[in-house]
Amino acid sequence: MFSLKPPRPTFKSYLLPPAPPPQDEDRSIPEPKIKKLDPVLLPGEIVVNEVNFVRKCIATDTSQYDLWGKLICSNFKISFITDDPMPFQKFHYTNLLLGEHDVPLTCIEQIVTVNDNKRKQKILGPNQKLKFNPTELIIYCKDFRIVRFRFDEAGPESAKKVCLAIAHYSQPTDLQLLFAFEYVGEKYHNTAKNINGIDSGSGGIPGGNSQKTPLFETFSDWDREIKRTGASEWRVCSINEGYMISTCLPEYFVVPSSLADQDLKLYSHSVFGRRMPLWCWNHSNGSALIRMALIKDVLQQKKIDQRICTAITKSHPQRSDVYKSDLDKNLPSIQEIQAAFVKLKQLCVDEPYEETEVKWLSSLENTRWLEYVRAFLKYSAELVYVLESKHLSVILREEEGRDLSCFVASLIQVMLDPHFRTITGFQSLIQKEWVMAGYRFLDRCNHLNRSAKESPLFLLFLDSIWQLLEQYPAAFEFSETYLMLLYDSTRISLFGTFLFNSPHQRVKQSTEFAISKNIQLGDEKGLKFPSVWDWSLQFAAKDRTLFNNPLYIGKSAPCVQNGSVKSFKRTKKNYSTNYTLHSRHR
Amino acid sequence: MEKSSSCESLGSQPAAARPPSVDSLSSASTSHSDHSAHIKSASVISSDSISTSADNFSPDLRVLRETNKLAEMEEPPLLPGENIKDMAKDVTYICPFTGAVRGTLTVTNYRLYFKSMERDPPFVLDASLGVISRVEKIGGASSRGENSYGLETVCKDIRNLRFAHKPEGRTRRSIFENLMKYAFPVSNNLPLFAFEYKEVFSENGWKLYDPLLEYRRQVLSWIHPESQATITRCSQPMVGVSGKRSKEDEKYLQAIMDSNAQSHKIFIFDARPSVNAVANKAKGGGYESEDAYQNAELVFLDIHNIHVMRESLRKLKEIVYPNIEETHWLSNLESTHWLEHIKLILAGALRIADKVESGKTSVVVHCSDGWDRTAQLTSLAMLMLDGYYRTIRGFEILVEKEWLSFGHRFQLRIGHGDKNHADADRSPVFLQFIDCVWQMTRQFPTAFEFNEYFLITILDHLYSCLFGTFLCSSEQQRGKENLLKRTVSLWSYINSQLEDFTNPLYVSYSNHVLYPVASMRHLELWVGYYIRWNPRMKPQEPIHSRYKELLAKRAELQKKVEELQREISSRSSSSSERAGSPAQCATPVQTVV
Repeated sequence: MFSLKPPRPTFKSYLLPPAPPPQDEDRSIPEPKIKKLDPVLLPGEIVVNEVNFVRKCIATDTSQYDLWGKLICSNFKISFITDDPMPFQKFHYTNLLLGEHDVPLTCIEQIVTVNDNKRKQKILGPNQKLKFNPTELIIYCKDFRIVRFRFDEAGPESAKKVCLAIAHYSQPTDLQLLFAFEYVGEKYHNTAKNINGIDSGSGGIPGGNSQKTPLFETFSDWDREIKRTGASEWRVCSINEGYMISTCLPEYFVVPSSLADQDLKLYSHSVFGRRMPLWCWNHSNGSALIRMALIKDVLQQKKIDQRICTAITKSHPQRSDVYKSDLDKNLPSIQEIQAAFVKLKQLCVDEPYEETEVKWLSSLENTRWLEYVRAFLKYSAELVYVLESKHLSVILREEEGRDLSCFVASLIQVMLDPHFRTITGFQSLIQKEWVMAGYRFLDRCNHLNRSAKESPLFLLFLDSIWQLLEQYPAAFEFSETYLMLLYDSTRISLFGTFLFNSPHQRVKQSTEFAISKNIQLGDEKGLKFPSVWDWSLQFAAKDRTLFNNPLYIGKSAPCVQNGSVKSFKRTKKNYSTNYTLHSRHR
Repeated sequence: MEKSSSCESLGSQPAAARPPSVDSLSSASTSHSDHSAHIKSASVISSDSISTSADNFSPDLRVLRETNKLAEMEEPPLLPGENIKDMAKDVTYICPFTGAVRGTLTVTNYRLYFKSMERDPPFVLDASLGVISRVEKIGGASSRGENSYGLETVCKDIRNLRFAHKPEGRTRRSIFENLMKYAFPVSNNLPLFAFEYKEVFSENGWKLYDPLLEYRRQVLSWIHPESQATITRCSQPMVGVSGKRSKEDEKYLQAIMDSNAQSHKIFIFDARPSVNAVANKAKGGGYESEDAYQNAELVFLDIHNIHVMRESLRKLKEIVYPNIEETHWLSNLESTHWLEHIKLILAGALRIADKVESGKTSVVVHCSDGWDRTAQLTSLAMLMLDGYYRTIRGFEILVEKEWLSFGHRFQLRIGHGDKNHADADRSPVFLQFIDCVWQMTRQFPTAFEFNEYFLITILDHLYSCLFGTFLCSSEQQRGKENLLKRTVSLWSYINSQLEDFTNPLYVSYSNHVLYPVASMRHLELWVGYYIRWNPRMKPQEPIHSRYKELLAKRAELQKKVEELQREISSRSSSSSERAGSPAQCATPVQTVV
């Protein structure tokens, strides 16, 4: 993916501070720091390897701003520990889990070692050998960062060991090797101490003034959502308790009241992943939003389809028809989105800054990333129109119902329901439509670096929310910063939220882990991992205020509610007129 | 076609106390957030007929108004000094976004006004005559087909307005003649409307700027409070092909250098691309030779001339009005080079600001003449360096000083009231400056006291000829025309209702130097200005009212802080009498909302 050319400038300093006085010029001889540089470690975190007298490169055109320090590799992160202050950049917030120079292992995409003298470069995979002593280490991160270290003054052997350790620990082969397991295991062993995190499975309190985020792991969360939306003809179904029917559905979900458990069980055999229809949301006019996998049994297809649609119609107060939306046929595929993302990354990371500057807009257009953002916004806005103005229930259909459905279902709800534009509401939406609905975070985020299934669908979703925030600057309780930090959190393997392919996988894997580590689970279904929604784990209360959008008008203001719903229709117009779906190259 | 906005104005205009009705403001009363008007099909126009026959049109407007109830409802609101010059009913406005709509077209000595009661809420189009750059007849009396006979006006503010008249109505000719007369008063030896506008505001904007207080030396723009480094502007030296030297000029530069003790060097920024500077030698101009000006370093900033900029804006208009091709939007935008020009101007200003701030070096800035690119560069550099200019009043003073006082030729570049639309001297120099300012407000949303609406208002009145501010081409002409006595200043209007123009997120960091990122990665097209006529691109929320709420909230909190402070100081003073210790509980008054 990345060329082996020396990395291009990623940070172009337009405004260099005044040149240092001449005596500083021969700074290539480091002053050995005698002071001990100790890493900050989390429970369960251990240092695997470390090397001293490392130079972290800041600007590519000059070594003037380089920092001296110690590079360590732990089972959670790589950490560069230095006493030198970071030039230029000032962060407005501090992550309590990660220092300024730290990179979580799950955020690492590629590791390149270089030896200038021998003019050799090598991309390091796990369990590989390195035949030369590296003078330089370049780490390409999944979040577009490029971090460079030089080992000119460091011990060659320890430098090599650290590089190999990073390569090994950042590309684990097994889910249980991800740090969250070690961390949680440690917590369970030390429950007496009860440090932060152990009880955070139930969602955190963002911003300090909101209620807890419902995780939709329980019957009552779903029941409350039914009541909140006034979906009186729908019921919570418990047939999947203990994941007895489907391993990619939550234990509890909502179905039309007229569909009996017995029927659902019967139908489930004919559906991909045994995924029965899942209720997402109800409009105040009674129209419902439902998502479902395709029926694979051709013989049963028509019959089951009809039964389900009839049941949905019965649950509509006006007995309106069901509008069937086939997502696979109308939206870019997971692979196309990944391809666009690769191009976008190349543009932002690989290509020389000055050259891309001239053709920036057309190059951006060529990645098709924004075209795909638009396709999702446009398509969702059309379904909003169906739900709201045509008073029809909408059923989202997708082969497995675990990818595009998550995106479209959440986008529609953000457009229609101001509740989901609050921080707590938005988080509950991600829990409901992504985490619990079986979006494959493990595969799509590529936590185990098996790139075949990687796709940045969740990022594309957050991008489309950002676009809405740009268009409706007063409609969202949260800010751009919140969205950014939320996405960063998918790269921190401490949290359980974005670590698994399904809730069942969490229970299964963590139960196995608990048994192997002799942890008593008691009544608990699997280990409770810290939740991303417990923002206090990452940020102090003062920094969490940056999550709040100062222009937010509040969801209670009725005119805005109306205005937004109306103007969202205009969004639909934005995207629908003058737009012809491009022919997709397959 | 489905739902649409009911009028072509900024969606969220505040109803001003006394609105000097430019297009963007006047329709406030009819502007609804409820965009529910359904568009009737264009065929209505031919099938429907209104009781009064068009043949009875009389130039006597009173008669028309008395006999036509509908026309009365479709009349414009008038400003003091404004009067109706022509009126035509049964005119169809061919809205490129919401379709044809039939109503009454009025021409006054200030505006072109169209209103239709066909839609609910009524459809209103209100444009100052000043924005019109060209009026053309379309179709002849024999033209076939619907709406093929009428008028088209090309406007300076990125839109065209097209009206269809009924051929048998005979209204086109008189509207055309009146438009040609009142939209281009200068070409007809008539006064611009600014000289007839009689409005009194609570503040007199003409008193805002006192050059003697603002600068100490001729053409010196700004002096760094600590390092004494200065920004000075001038025009190109008259070097010519033979390489003439000017002792006086060389001495002058030496003097600038000497007055700044911290540096022995001076930077001369030439705004032009170096090729153009060389070419200028043939016309007697040129650039400083390094032999003649020792200790001076010459830097070319590669900013193109007024003709290139005019062409770029023309291309931009082509891709944004009326329709936008969604699939190739970004590459089309790139091909206009508009943002690239904006980038070069910002980057040039950035280098100047950086030399002064970090290099503690004095700079001299010039282009060919010293009033176009130079004004852009110096005023932007000053905005970056000095927080004072980022306040509303400071910005007004910056415009007065760097643009008006130093002789940007507004009349020549804008062509107020002049029918010669193809004049090669016209160029969007000031528009580019405001665009650059907007780019900075995007990158530093809390650093400017004014909001986007302030910038749009300035641009609207750049063309409107309602205020005297942007009239004439030099200080001398302005004095001769006695603008201060005979016209109203734009700042009078703005400063009389500051709450509309204030950014609620503003925090005064007066000592912060702003370094915007001049990269295509960060620059964006100013949709709120260039594509504002497209109802789909309008701000989709009443953000303006939210701003006002926040301002009110801030004022309330500030008042509370002050009250509490008074309370504390009164308590502590009474207690300090006893305890004898000074009060140490000053709370910062500045609140961040």
